[in-house]
Amino acid sequence: MSVLKDFMIADHRACDEAFATLENAVHEEKWDEAKKLFEEFASDLNYHFDMEEEVMFPTFESRSGSAHCNPTPVMIMEHTQMRKLTSDMREQLDAKNKDQFFGLSETLMMTMQQHNMKEEQMMYPMVDEAMVGEEQMLLDSMKELPRKDA
Amino acid sequence: MYQGLSTDQAPPISVPFRFFLTAPFFAILIAITFFIYPQEAIFDRYSPIAVGVVHLFTLGILTMIIFGALQQMLPVLSGAVIKKRILFANIVHTNLTIGALSLSGGFIFSSSLLKSIGSITLTLAFGVFFFVVTKLLFQVKYVNSTVTAMRIFSIVGIITVLLGLHLIGSHLSGNFSSLHFDIVNIHIAFGIFGFALIIVMGVAFQVIPMFYVARDFPKDVQNKFPRVIFGMLILFGIFTFMKLEKDTVLNVLSILAIIFSYYGIVSLNNRRRPVFDITLWYWKLSLVSLIVGLVMFLIDMPISTVSIVIAFGFLYSLLQGMIYKIIPFLAWFHLSSKGYFDIPTLRGFIKEFDIKIQFYLYVSSVVFMILATVFNKLFLYIAGGLFIVSNILLLVNMITATLSYKKIANTDPMAAFK
Repeated sequence: MSVLKDFMIADHRACDEAFATLENAVHEEKWDEAKKLFEEFASDLNYHFDMEEEVMFPTFESRSGSAHCNPTPVMIMEHTQMRKLTSDMREQLDAKNKDQFFGLSETLMMTMQQHNMKEEQMMYPMVDEAMVGEEQMLLDSMKELPRKDA
Repeated sequence: MYQGLSTDQAPPISVPFRFFLTAPFFAILIAITFFIYPQEAIFDRYSPIAVGVVHLFTLGILTMIIFGALQQMLPVLSGAVIKKRILFANIVHTNLTIGALSLSGGFIFSSSLLKSIGSITLTLAFGVFFFVVTKLLFQVKYVNSTVTAMRIFSIVGIITVLLGLHLIGSHLSGNFSSLHFDIVNIHIAFGIFGFALIIVMGVAFQVIPMFYVARDFPKDVQNKFPRVIFGMLILFGIFTFMKLEKDTVLNVLSILAIIFSYYGIVSLNNRRRPVFDITLWYWKLSLVSLIVGLVMFLIDMPISTVSIVIAFGFLYSLLQGMIYKIIPFLAWFHLSSKGYFDIPTLRGFIKEFDIKIQFYLYVSSVVFMILATVFNKLFLYIAGGLFIVSNILLLVNMITATLSYKKIANTDPMAAFK
């Protein structure tokens, strides 16, 4: 059991749920509700990325000292891909373009899931290993990070 | 062990694509045999024609797609990265293609030369693949149910291949031991319940909950089923050699597969995503066919009908559903990673309508194949025709996505900013 890994995995699942609820609203063309759900989802997703990029990854890098096989640049590159998709989805949602929205949401879904898989199978266990005994401290610092606009 | 997430973790797109693009050609060859050889020869499991056709499927389609997909999935699922990926893919793909053609041709045309070429090239293809992949899988540090299933798949795969090599050796030397048909039965059981079913389980445990935001398989199914199936297969082998009653073992294996399939269907039916996803049709057809095929087996229906339902209803439909998910995603992912901004979405690489047409044609061909096991040869001709057309469409759909990818990849990613 790891508090850090468990928390991050629970956050992934919460994002999946929020994403599915959002897609349901778009599917039923409840545009106002969809817009509200989208902003909540985008904010949660962005906060998750920020916690990793600003706290978890730098701490891991300073502890692991394995610069030659550092996995964080790939994770950050995929965050950038997902931020771009989220921003494109916002445009299509504003234009109430359902088909285009679902084309993008399908793409985000796949990218997000394979990304989660890599983090859950490898990234988080690696962080746990580098932070033995200090996982709770790292998690607390992550939670203290202020939220920014998505 | 941290190598799995290096910047160049994903193999070049040409690696999985070459395996996927080869499979439909083998499917077309299978359909061609329907027009040339007598119905009885195709559906009699012991006839050389049937053995040839079965291996066109198991090697040319099943192994081809599984090996292609695994090279893509290993780094993502387990962090296991294959070194010299292009060389590895070249060796495995070339030898598997030549081997599948030669071995099947060897049986169909009764040619010892072709059988010899087949056994040498297949030894190379499977030897290289399993040597590298098994080693990597057992080095994986963070093990989950999919990695466990893949490890068992690789062990069972090696056993299936070794048994197959022993059998082909007997054919080449003309020296058949008294255990020949026992080994044939063990080879088949390990192939179906081990090589095919266990890898499908491993993939389903991850893919169904993740890509469809669906319920996880129960922990007991995930953790215990692949191990229990492996144990049952070993038991089946022992019972066979000891001439003990082994039907119970096969029945237990079938029931385990049915339970797995049931949970897969329940999970898909309770998915959270409302969006219509055509690949769900392939997954559902596959899982329902697995149940139908095994119930037919349990109630002693003709083995030719059961084989069609399992091979084409269960396995090939699942493989096609997987391909339709993987190809557009890889095309998008590789382009996006190279810095391209103006990329179609996943639905833009292969049109949903084109996949639907292909699905209808495919299902019709399978229905006619099933009817052909009971009725006259006219049904086999219709099945063959539909099967050829559906596989050409599958190929066209894959090529369309590949060409869209190439067209963008040949442009300058920075052009949008100039």
